[in-house]
Amino acid sequence: MQLLVNGKTYEVDVDEETMLLSVLRHDLGLTGTKYGCGDGDCGACTVLVDGEAKNSCITPVDSAAGSEITTIEGLADGDNLHPVQEAFIEHTAFQCAFCTPGFIMSTVALLLRNPEPDDRQIRAALTGNICRCGTYVRIMEAAKSAAERSSQQGGK
Amino acid sequence: MTVASDIRQDAALVIIAPPQWAGELELREPPGPDATILMMDHQGGAIAFSGKVEYGQGIRSGFSLAIADELDLPLASVSVILGDTALVPYDRGTVGSLSTMTLGMQLRRAAAAARGALVTLAAEHWSVDESSLATSEGNVFKTSDTSQRVSYADLLEGKSLQLSIPEDTATKQAEDFVYMGKDAIRTDALARVTGQAKYSHDIVVDGMLHGKILRPPSYGARPQQIDTSGSERIPGFVMVVQEGDLVGVVCEREDAAEQAVAAIRVRWQEVQELPSDSDFPGLLKEKAKEMIVLRESGSTADGFAQADHVLEGSYFVPHVANAPMETSAAVASWDGGNLIVWSGDRSPFGVRDELANALNISQDNIRVIAPEVGGSFGTKGTVEVAQEAAVLAKAAGRPVRVVHSRAEEFMWGTVRPAAFYEIRSGFNNDGKIVAWEYTGYHTGDRPQRGQRGADTPYNTPNVRIAVADSDSPLRTGSYRSLGCASNHFAREIHMDEIAAALKMDPVEFRLLNLSHPRLSRVLQQTADRFGWNDKRDDSSIGIGVAIGYDAGSFVAECAEVRVQRRNVRVQRVVAGIDCGMVVNPEGVRNQMEGSIIMGMGTALRETVEFGSGRLLNSVFSKYRVPRINDAPQIEIVMSGDPTTQSTGAGEPGIVPIAAAIGNAVYDVTESPVRNLPIVPNLP
Repeated sequence: MQLLVNGKTYEVDVDEETMLLSVLRHDLGLTGTKYGCGDGDCGACTVLVDGEAKNSCITPVDSAAGSEITTIEGLADGDNLHPVQEAFIEHTAFQCAFCTPGFIMSTVALLLRNPEPDDRQIRAALTGNICRCGTYVRIMEAAKSAAERSSQQGGK
Repeated sequence: MTVASDIRQDAALVIIAPPQWAGELELREPPGPDATILMMDHQGGAIAFSGKVEYGQGIRSGFSLAIADELDLPLASVSVILGDTALVPYDRGTVGSLSTMTLGMQLRRAAAAARGALVTLAAEHWSVDESSLATSEGNVFKTSDTSQRVSYADLLEGKSLQLSIPEDTATKQAEDFVYMGKDAIRTDALARVTGQAKYSHDIVVDGMLHGKILRPPSYGARPQQIDTSGSERIPGFVMVVQEGDLVGVVCEREDAAEQAVAAIRVRWQEVQELPSDSDFPGLLKEKAKEMIVLRESGSTADGFAQADHVLEGSYFVPHVANAPMETSAAVASWDGGNLIVWSGDRSPFGVRDELANALNISQDNIRVIAPEVGGSFGTKGTVEVAQEAAVLAKAAGRPVRVVHSRAEEFMWGTVRPAAFYEIRSGFNNDGKIVAWEYTGYHTGDRPQRGQRGADTPYNTPNVRIAVADSDSPLRTGSYRSLGCASNHFAREIHMDEIAAALKMDPVEFRLLNLSHPRLSRVLQQTADRFGWNDKRDDSSIGIGVAIGYDAGSFVAECAEVRVQRRNVRVQRVVAGIDCGMVVNPEGVRNQMEGSIIMGMGTALRETVEFGSGRLLNSVFSKYRVPRINDAPQIEIVMSGDPTTQSTGAGEPGIVPIAAAIGNAVYDVTESPVRNLPIVPNLP
């Protein structure tokens, strides 16, 4: 099976019902995407599939074959961080940061479909992600400032 | 194992702990190179060594800031090695919010001693008096002519020095800090937003296999008959391991191991008649062990006899789950008789020593490394997952990683003890409390965990404080501000009940009964910032206050809630903390906010449900932790004095929050909130 991840094509030899999370972490060594619950309840495993946020722990890999998959590792452009990553640093929108890749990917997906979200839309987009350290106030601020930045930069 | 000496090969200046710290660091005496707490390399950079772990609290950043300031080094020249038993001095584990207070000060003194040694070297270099020299940005310079400077790297060229920290080593005053006391971006931020930070789940070593452990369906269940033939048919199956009570499978992939363990057919013998959550709180008192009187002063009997009013209340806090986002995991790799374990645990030395016991090998043959830890909040202080990985790796003859599932983390990780309290207070019409009788029961198998925070900070002449342990069918363990947050819930709710009985304002009533200046100050400043006396004309909105103490710090919190039917929405929280000198205000705010959110979960929703030894809500869809749409507006007030010693900031924020929210609900419903999670009792 061929997978297109972060702009690179990979050939993987796995059962088609293997979850995308397992393929990313085990076969491709992309460990930035995290296992948090395996039930799609916590969002730690969020990746983009054709620009949409998906819980990779409940996404069978064959459903993502042929799509463009983006993980946290594929977000920065060389040394240039994505505006959402920059905003998370600026607001220290993390503590242990285990959930951070998932939150960043969910925020990126939101801004792709809605470059100027209001607070309610941000909350709705991120309510599927859990931060047990409780940095939600900061994540809100980071998402808002990323939205400002990306709308200035023409919705990157 | 030679790793420890490898890193020191480039050591130009080694700072070791002085003998008088040997007890605190549990060093072998006299302290030798294993007591290295700071090292300077030949490039003039500093490396600090600490047995603490980074589980989100930002300790690596905090230590870096402190060292950069005391050594007058650019922040980029400071690195911190955490939680590697082969590299750092012994440490009892990352507990009790005390890292900044104890180790932070030790590292500051080590850095100050290193700076002193560099000044001495420069004075010799120029043949001048040390008092004519100063340091900045990795250089020593002459105060009379600042263009005359020598870099730390040049001073350390060809050197190999060792220094025990002199007793008279002085640290800097707050006004001389460049980094400390100001908002700082965490030094590990980049790795955390790019997916590069490595947690125990992410450790991969050559030839590594994946293990899963067979778990009983209920606590205490034992396998009567095991048939593993189904597992063997799973592609990628390697072996089944049975050693004592441990049954596990080892496979080439983690998902294969999950399937293989699920394919084991087992006939279980389960323990009958285990209690369920509905047997609580009754069981707490029924199963109480020895009552320990923590304080008895004056005579409560006389106090109650003289009091104008007597009020009684009982309060209940259920078991709640720590549920860190990273489930417990470990990688074990054997090399002959030597074992290396990567374990996401808050106490690497504790794991090492317990492993040595469990595996019957010397602790000198075990190296435990804590990678980034994805949250702890008190759990992840046990050896199990490391031991599971070690046993499976030994049997397989290859390294093995074991990652617990979310369901395993809920059931086999530890939970916060449940607690039950009986409070009887006597008070007079003038608002003074004259008698206070407080009895607490906490589940748990470690003695007297209910002591922390049980004593009242209010002035009362006649006091009796007693606590007792009690049984739990669950695996109880530590939690953020263990015991203390529960104790404060009961006491601070009761305080509002007294205020209501006297028709007094809850803030005024507390101030009247307090004489601790730091506690009064933090309460006053928090109430002022909150706008406690502002008019609120919506009858569905309530405000509540609570105060507390923990980890050497003092806190006060005011909450505004909206109550609609059985739904409580926390809209705004103002939280004040006095934790003395603040190393990184941004770090303190982040910890306070996190504590408040976590405590909101205990206040409004979280409770572990169980029956017949089984957990009934071990998924996040049923065990509801706070999510972003629950988060209120939060403001943090720092009321500490920079000349006071730094104290804990990671836990105190959770201490008053459940009571502040409960009291705000009480403000709306006029019916006191005596049980968690809160269910509003609207008339």
